[in-house]
Amino acid sequence: MSGRILVVEDDERIRSSMRLALEGEGYEVRDAASGEEGLDLFVEAAPDVALIDLMLPGMDGFECCRALRRSSAVPIIIVTARSDTHDVVAGLEAGADDYVTKPFVAKELAARIRALLRRARPAEEEPGALTFGDLQLLPEQGALRRLNGDDVHCTRTEFRLLCELAASPNKVLSREQLLDRVWGYDYFGDGRLVDVHIRRLRTKVEADPAVPQHILTVRGMGYKLVP
Amino acid sequence: MRLGIGARITAVFGLGALLLSILLGGLSYFTVRHFLLAGRESAAQHQAFNNAVLVRTQLQLGTTGYVTLLTNIDAGSDAHSVLYHGAKYYVSSLSENASSIPLQLRRDALAGTAATQTYRTGQGTAEFAVGVPIPSVRAVYFEVFDLSDLDHTLRVLGLTLLVAGVVTTVLGVALGRFASVRLLRPLADVSRAAGAIAGGELDTRLAEDDADPDLEGLTLSFNAMVDQLQERIEREARFNSDVSHELRSPLTTLAASLEVLEADRDELPPRSQRALQLLSDDLHRFQRMVGDLLEMSRADAGSVDVFLEEVDVSELVQRSVEAGFGHMDGHRSGSAAARNGSAGNGAGGPPGVRIDPAVRSWRVGVDKRRFERVMVNLMENADHYGGGVTEILVEPGADGHVEVAVDDAGPGIDPMERLKIFERFYRGSAAGRRGTGTGTGLGLALVAEHMHVMQGDVRVESSPAGGARFVLTLPVLSEAEDPADEPSRAGGLE
Repeated sequence: MSGRILVVEDDERIRSSMRLALEGEGYEVRDAASGEEGLDLFVEAAPDVALIDLMLPGMDGFECCRALRRSSAVPIIIVTARSDTHDVVAGLEAGADDYVTKPFVAKELAARIRALLRRARPAEEEPGALTFGDLQLLPEQGALRRLNGDDVHCTRTEFRLLCELAASPNKVLSREQLLDRVWGYDYFGDGRLVDVHIRRLRTKVEADPAVPQHILTVRGMGYKLVP
Repeated sequence: MRLGIGARITAVFGLGALLLSILLGGLSYFTVRHFLLAGRESAAQHQAFNNAVLVRTQLQLGTTGYVTLLTNIDAGSDAHSVLYHGAKYYVSSLSENASSIPLQLRRDALAGTAATQTYRTGQGTAEFAVGVPIPSVRAVYFEVFDLSDLDHTLRVLGLTLLVAGVVTTVLGVALGRFASVRLLRPLADVSRAAGAIAGGELDTRLAEDDADPDLEGLTLSFNAMVDQLQERIEREARFNSDVSHELRSPLTTLAASLEVLEADRDELPPRSQRALQLLSDDLHRFQRMVGDLLEMSRADAGSVDVFLEEVDVSELVQRSVEAGFGHMDGHRSGSAAARNGSAGNGAGGPPGVRIDPAVRSWRVGVDKRRFERVMVNLMENADHYGGGVTEILVEPGADGHVEVAVDDAGPGIDPMERLKIFERFYRGSAAGRRGTGTGTGLGLALVAEHMHVMQGDVRVESSPAGGARFVLTLPVLSEAEDPADEPSRAGGLE
């Protein structure tokens, strides 16, 4: 599998070693030493995945994520030193799709990238068009539209999450199932990924995200989509 | 036994009140007594002399008999007269006789000296006697006064003063108690604050604004001390955290570079391959140590920020054991042992998990990755010191808890060591058996730390087979059926 990866990391050695390791996995790697440089390079290189360290001098990783998100739906993986702080949640809320914790194993990182790049599911299994509220989900076009024709902008991961829920309307999907299908995680995947993405999705899909009508939480069990 | 300051203050107040009441009571009593007695005596003396003059006149006239003479003398209801004349005593009252007058007094009076004496009779009655010699008629006139009423008055006074003294002493003790409690209250505050600080609440301070002016110095210096302490602890925690963070960057570089080399392993000469293997194994250990130290420094800094997920306990344990087995030292995929097909310490696969049917579908709130680390650490501990895990049991525990017991085949753990083994870097009697020196000495300390973060606990006891049994306890959230069986239970809100 190949793809272009943008690495934004201020430590030159880590950057070099990541480049070597990811190139070894067959990716084309571009790297930047700061958030500002990363944003410029992003426009120029149009990568398939962006890898952003949260602790950057100047513009930090969160800001860099938000800036990227304003213009792109590209999958973003944040690199954090700690997995138990609010850093992870804050990074996800800034628009990241997934995270890895330093020191990470390059194989693991490659697996994360692969999971984010792969197609949602084989085309024949894709759910058909689904209408809920004033929204229309068109999986084969990769689009979410309002009935008045306006596009609702989702990241790739948000869209895939919505498609998974839409594939079985009214059926509860557990966090584990969603982590497996969308992110390719096993049992030990981080449930916060699902929670934050659901939250992000609600702000786009629900009239009032605080009182969701379509993407419902089933306490202790998971989530379901109610058309 | 040494008395506490409170008891001593109380005792001093009580004793002070007692001494004061004795002093005041005694002084009042004797002053009053002296005053009353002196007045009475001088009146009695006066009366006795007057009566003696009367007796002399009567005797000189010689007209009346002794009885009439004595009867005529007005001695008052509380006195009687005794006349000595012609070697005989004549008494005015039938119920009295002359022998009640003290001998010394009689002797003095008979010798021609006027005398007085206060005394107590054989019956215990206080009396005052005056002896007046009347030389002109060769007689002696005695008058004896009954002091019972005075005695009674003094007795009542004494009793009153005694009661007042007792009451004063009791009040003194009570005041002392109150004062000591008042006095010690700021110290109790200090002690409470110190306890809270020792318990990890480093933000605790004594209130400076409502402090007693006399104790302001204590309050200020106490707070200054805690400030210093807190700063030190935080600096140390920050240092630990910084060190671990700083180590992460080179570790990340090392790990990534090593993987590049490992991908090309087959192109390397055999010597380099072996060197690469050593590098890889120790890098893995190093990463774990840094991870463990960082985890500990986080726990110290109190900045653990845990995300608990509700999961089925049977599945959690099952999966954690399987995944954890793969993460153990010596079992790690990619390590020499695994590659050579011999799975480390003689175990062929993950240990068996036996689940009590009663806990099936019980749900607990955990951080799954932390729980997996707990299982890895326990299994590694069993491998290093206990001859490997024999069995893992999931059973109902007390008070709405579920217990996960990990048994090993070792010699068990001495009861004296059972708490200490959860301390950091504790090297118990098993230290000699450390073998290749894997582990950081933090494994069991982290088990305890992780369990506490998840509102659980860990203890060690003996397994039925005599080995060690580590028991993890977790509070059960619900004993509901598997969610998959009841998809209709829906709620719309978080």
